[in-house]
Amino acid sequence: MSTGRTSAHPDSLASAATPEAPAAIELSGLGKVYSRGRSSVTAVQSTTLSVPWGQVVGLLGPNGAGKTTIIKMLGGLVTPTWGTVRLGGYDVARQRRHAVRQIGAVLEGSRNVYWPMSAWENLLYFGRLKGLRGAKVKPRAERLLTELGLWERRHESVGTYSRGMQQKVAVAAALITDPPVILLDEPTIGLDVEAARTVKDWIARLARTDGKTIVLTTHQLEVAQELSDRIAVIKEGEVIADLPTAELLSRHAENRFEIRVAGPLGGLADVLPSGAHAEPAGEQTRVLLPDGDRQLLYAVLNRLQSADAPLVSVAQARPSLEEVFLRLVNAEPGPSGGTVDGAADVTETAR
Amino acid sequence: MSAPPLVVGEPRSWLGLQARLASNEAAKGVRLMWHRRSMVVVGVVLNGLTYLGVSLFIGGGHIVKPLMVLTLPALLAMVVASIAALQGSGGVAEEIYGGTLEQTQLSPASPHAQVLGRVAALAVEGLASAFVLAVVLVLWFGLDYDLHLAALLPALLTVVDGLAYGLLIAALTVRVASIGAITHVFNMVIMVFGGMMVPIAVFPDVLETFARFIPTALGVQALNTTLAGHPLGATWSDGTLPWLLVHTAVLLAVGLVTYVVNIGRARHEGGLSPR
Repeated sequence: MSTGRTSAHPDSLASAATPEAPAAIELSGLGKVYSRGRSSVTAVQSTTLSVPWGQVVGLLGPNGAGKTTIIKMLGGLVTPTWGTVRLGGYDVARQRRHAVRQIGAVLEGSRNVYWPMSAWENLLYFGRLKGLRGAKVKPRAERLLTELGLWERRHESVGTYSRGMQQKVAVAAALITDPPVILLDEPTIGLDVEAARTVKDWIARLARTDGKTIVLTTHQLEVAQELSDRIAVIKEGEVIADLPTAELLSRHAENRFEIRVAGPLGGLADVLPSGAHAEPAGEQTRVLLPDGDRQLLYAVLNRLQSADAPLVSVAQARPSLEEVFLRLVNAEPGPSGGTVDGAADVTETAR
Repeated sequence: MSAPPLVVGEPRSWLGLQARLASNEAAKGVRLMWHRRSMVVVGVVLNGLTYLGVSLFIGGGHIVKPLMVLTLPALLAMVVASIAALQGSGGVAEEIYGGTLEQTQLSPASPHAQVLGRVAALAVEGLASAFVLAVVLVLWFGLDYDLHLAALLPALLTVVDGLAYGLLIAALTVRVASIGAITHVFNMVIMVFGGMMVPIAVFPDVLETFARFIPTALGVQALNTTLAGHPLGATWSDGTLPWLLVHTAVLLAVGLVTYVVNIGRARHEGGLSPR
């Protein structure tokens, strides 16, 4: 499941056999069981994952799959029942003081910052919380608030801001010490379209321009598909897929053709052979053929030409991340412990 | 891709770093207090009116100044302790539900440093409220106190005792969110048995013994002894000061240990955020 990189503490690099820098994030056999009275709930099973520096990992899964527990174990906010977490080579359990300075986090379903305090006060507080002195924090706070368009209102209580502005402050607080690893648990939840777009653009910038290592959980799969270099799908506390985004999608590419024509559906359905399916896709119509038969493809193209349907593209059908995700989480476990419906293939991980 | 250099410099001194982190926590507490300053003023007024009402009731409709001289230190101690407990507990509960308690844990600060910073902020609020009440009541009623150095140690220990009580309540809140309601009962017990209504010295023996376990009660007794002009040695020889030292130290230690243990337990149970 993991790339199996050997991690070494930066201080011990000189004596290490291989002077390889530690991965940004290293989860080794990580698991969590919550006790609930006399019963117990396994939130995360043995999870092993290695994230190199600068990679954006989308952690996807249905509600209760264990995403938030993993994020919180990464930050040392939940103690694992077994396994270890290393951030930049630092063991979160044993070298917590060093490990937590590697990360900034925006956590799900919470304010993350102090609403009675102003944005300025919050950023100074969170900067100093990581051990920085005020003189170092202030210029960065000024830059972040200016970039987020909050500078003019920096002395107003965060509680008076809109939900989108509050989330911007939470993101800024996570970034105030410029940590190399960012944990984002549902960062766009509850935001309107415009605010979600702003936060999403920021995440993209952090990843592409600033080279941050980001672990992102979200139910907005188009956001995950757009931002993530790699996708890990979690179901019932277990990673059932862990692949680069493009590879995950290509593995689920179907052996059938997809034709796109401009304009609405109109009378296209009448010219399609049985088994073909047409559906609107924005301002286009998407035609899915039943299989990869090239003769059939040419025949359909001829019919479309005869019907004066303006052809846009012909390609092998590729499902969206949402379709892949649904296939994976809805797949039944197979007899060999893998999954059926092709999902067993993706339980292998990137090498 | 190799690891980027850490932007956060290594601290030269662990103790120095912890002191800075504790002062950051204290500054945050004071800022939050400032943002709800109107509630602080209301609290001071209500405490003052409650005290005057009780004093009038005890005095049969009159303010008995010699009695007030003995009960005012208990009021001030009660104010420090109750503010520490209520705001300490309320602050932790609010942080759990608001998600900021988790954010505060993403820090190199030790739990000890963080909670001591919190307590320092509570001390500022409690002492500021007590100071205003003391000045107003002493000037209004022309109360006469023999202030001298011997009273300093009992006064200091009384404040620390009250804050330690607040610390323990705040520490319990990490795991028992409903502790807030019980805190009001504890505060009432301090009000009744801490010497705010009548001096502890006039309690029946059984109640006086019971009162010795109440936060701030021993401190108020020692304070009244020294403010009456007796030397500090008198509080030692009558056993008040030694018991006060023990009481304060134990309460402080129990509060600190409870906080650290409960933060650890909350991490095990995922209880740093709303359960």
